[in-house]
Amino acid sequence: MKSLLLLIPLYLLPLVVHSDVVLTVFVFAFILSILAIGFNVVFGGAGQLTMFHAAAFGIGGYATFLSMQTFGLPFWLGYVIAAAIMVVISILVGWICFKFRLREFYFAVVTLAIAELCRLVVLNWTNVTNGTLGLLVLDKPTVWVPGEGAVQIGQTIPWYFLSLVCLTGVLIFTVLVMRSWIGRNFSAIRLNEDLAQTLGIDTFRYKLLAFILSNVIASFAGALYGFYTGFIEPAYLAVNQSLDAIAMVLLGGVSTIFGPLVGALLLTSLPHLIDFSAEIRAALYGAILIFVILIMPRGIVGLFGGRPHAS
Amino acid sequence: MSQLVLGQILNGVILGSLYGIIALGVTMTFGITGIVNFALGQFMMIGAYATWCFTDAVKLPFTVSVVLGILIASIAGLAADQALFRFTRNNLVNGLLVSIGLISVMESGALLLFTTTPKDMDVVVPGSWMLGAIALPRMKLVVFLLLVAVIGLTWLGLSRAWLGRATRAYAQNAEAAMLMGVPTGLLQTGVVVYSCGVAGFGGALYASLYSLEPSLGALFILKGVEAAILAGVGNLLGALGGGIILGITESVGSLYLPGAFHDAYGLVFLIAILLFRPGGLFGGSK
Repeated sequence: MKSLLLLIPLYLLPLVVHSDVVLTVFVFAFILSILAIGFNVVFGGAGQLTMFHAAAFGIGGYATFLSMQTFGLPFWLGYVIAAAIMVVISILVGWICFKFRLREFYFAVVTLAIAELCRLVVLNWTNVTNGTLGLLVLDKPTVWVPGEGAVQIGQTIPWYFLSLVCLTGVLIFTVLVMRSWIGRNFSAIRLNEDLAQTLGIDTFRYKLLAFILSNVIASFAGALYGFYTGFIEPAYLAVNQSLDAIAMVLLGGVSTIFGPLVGALLLTSLPHLIDFSAEIRAALYGAILIFVILIMPRGIVGLFGGRPHAS
Repeated sequence: MSQLVLGQILNGVILGSLYGIIALGVTMTFGITGIVNFALGQFMMIGAYATWCFTDAVKLPFTVSVVLGILIASIAGLAADQALFRFTRNNLVNGLLVSIGLISVMESGALLLFTTTPKDMDVVVPGSWMLGAIALPRMKLVVFLLLVAVIGLTWLGLSRAWLGRATRAYAQNAEAAMLMGVPTGLLQTGVVVYSCGVAGFGGALYASLYSLEPSLGALFILKGVEAAILAGVGNLLGALGGGIILGITESVGSLYLPGAFHDAYGLVFLIAILLFRPGGLFGGSK
């Protein structure tokens, strides 16, 4: 828990840095690191290579916005509904995958297939999702501030703090989960699933739980991302979105607390530091993925001896 | 109407045999070495673009270009194996992620070199046969026969020759095979390189029929994996069958359902097969 104090400099950053561009990069990095944390819960935690987190990310964005539109709710209640929808979808997908004992390659392929089916549905359900054109999000999340009442989050600085507070909340939540008996059971499954089962851990239940948690966190990132950019499109659910998050987690350090954040900060700021074309950026992501897996499988945080999730 | 269906079935068979050749690579590498090479589609793309370059720019005869295309894809495969896959042999997830990284690198490379403009090749074998009222371009038949021949020969080689027995022995028990004098390291490399070469061959033939785009690899690997799982991983002849079933379903399905669902059939097949018949339609070894 103490390691979370490392986040304090980030809270003080806007005092020093006034550049809108830099702070915007940080907002994107914070939101995307929430997505990466989601992936890290199920891959770094329970060792299941999911390809579903981009679908959760996209569905989170769409469901939050659509439930706000339909029921006239504020952002946070809209997200609660989206999270509930995400839990139901995750239980369905996870139940199918884990009940039929899909592992490793097969689990990755089936979650990828279901994620692609979700993307095709979103793409073709034109009268609800507006198809390829996407949805324009004009609403902003509101936050209740003492003395000021409900304040709309619109500018970069408020967004910076909102996304940082959300990230902190998600981090505290995951650390609490990962350090508890739940997280220890996840680790047992990751390290040796058969052994875990022999020791009396209900692997089906815990894998399902990890999958649900992961997707709910990823959908939160999707909701924030959609409202920050003001635009939600089917590309949110694309395979590339999944791969970006995987690259972030691997670069930062699998199964570490800060790995996803470090990876997201580096990979989000990289294209801004050096001016790359889209092709070179994609090639660089791929090269980083390969390099990290072959040369430093524990990632950057791992290099500095960061503690694993549960220990 | 029935002619339309028949025509679509023929198209599906041709396209399906292309899926089948990628499925052959997937099934071989996964079934024998335990590596999942998701970048196989990109090796197909290399073969396709190389063939296009040699026939269109250098003006070599098509057959020579195809051979060169296969050669280049194989060399790329050898390089990838020695530099990357060699280090991920006993870790499936790492191999998977490395090959995914390789996809981004190779596809971006193709985008930089060839841009997104579709590349078309001159017709190699002109003319077509008439089957009743349906025209079947000769080149399509040639491609189909070549693909079937390669898949058939691979199966024959792996089930009859010493090399084939050694390979299967290795797939069953790597250590025992090593003790019996099978050069396992060479074998692993050989399988990866062969699958890349075969994918390059598929690409070379693809170039003679359809226009090329850098994204073709991503499409074909998905279909290849779907076809391989449909047939049952490890089943070489089944890979062709799986590919053809997938091709026909997509082609005929697009007559009745909106084209938007074109890519959904394979995904639904894949999920259904893995859940209810994980050994594959033809009862593979896995």
